[in-house]
Amino acid sequence: MKFYDLHVHSEFSEGESSIEEIAERAKILGYSGICFAEYFKNFRKIEELKKKLNDVSKRVGIEIYLGFEARNSYELSKLAKKRKEFDILLVRGGELNLNRKAVETKEVDVLTHPEFGRKDSGLNHVMARLASENNVAIEINFREIVSLSKTSRSLLLKNIQRNIMLCRKYGTPLILSSGAISHWHLKDPKVLISMACVLGLEIKEAKNALSQVPGKIIQISKGRQDERWIMPGVKVIS
Amino acid sequence: MKRLKILIPSLRERKRYIAFQVIHEKGEDFSYSDMESALWDAMLDFYGELGVSQTSVWLMKDLWNEKRKIGILRCNHKSVQKVIASLGLIERLGDTRVTFKILKVSGTIKSIKEKVRL
Repeated sequence: MKFYDLHVHSEFSEGESSIEEIAERAKILGYSGICFAEYFKNFRKIEELKKKLNDVSKRVGIEIYLGFEARNSYELSKLAKKRKEFDILLVRGGELNLNRKAVETKEVDVLTHPEFGRKDSGLNHVMARLASENNVAIEINFREIVSLSKTSRSLLLKNIQRNIMLCRKYGTPLILSSGAISHWHLKDPKVLISMACVLGLEIKEAKNALSQVPGKIIQISKGRQDERWIMPGVKVIS
Repeated sequence: MKRLKILIPSLRERKRYIAFQVIHEKGEDFSYSDMESALWDAMLDFYGELGVSQTSVWLMKDLWNEKRKIGILRCNHKSVQKVIASLGLIERLGDTRVTFKILKVSGTIKSIKEKVRL
């Protein structure tokens, strides 16, 4: 089974480790592919980034994808327009308006930690349904769980469990990710799957959230980068 | 002290053994006791005393490989996911940054020893 971690930060964004260190560690832990989430400010360096990721991918022997994480509505609009130029479009969740805009936008692949920095879960039944219709995956971020403790961690777990319940109810895709900012934050896929099981997912659902769902996102993204692609569901055949 | 008679097989708890390897910073070292205390702290913090009691978790001292940093955890068959998840919550052993790689989950010590080559 192929496992993918679609939310990893390198030293180019907020990370502490180099692309090589993270890729090598991901390979050791048994991932087939990882996606580096970069910030909009680095969009100017996109060609340089692509070249570097390609080199590391060939050297280490792991699939590496380039993603951009929008942190506000302005960045989301800009990145949605340039969607064909990179692999994955992530939106940093937490702010309610941005969460809503992310699940309404077809170009978005992943809404990361919608409950981030909130007292509530950042997602309601309307947004879960919209995410399902627009095929926007909701992320369960492991770094948040590890970095918090006591009361704040228990509140976070409650919110994550609520989001899982909503996603199951409306058939919204769920993905698991380490949210690593250093190669030490990357976790074994079995650890992520086990944590998802502890939080209420069935083992099959948890495995899908780390393999099939991200795999499908990558497949759609590759289709989108095809020259014949026009918009979701529309493609030039001949 | 007189020992208890062993329970009949149908009443015994079904066990699982989890083999794991600790990936650690080069040049830094840690001991079995660091591993043991970090595991108990992580599990007690996350699941509480009652939760941990229901897992029957135990880090097996005689199967700890100090050189390769490979260890085996024992727990009951219903708590495998709980125990593996708690390994992900451990970020440091002593002062050393660590990550865990799960090597194998098995029902007998014999098969896990063969697989991991302890």
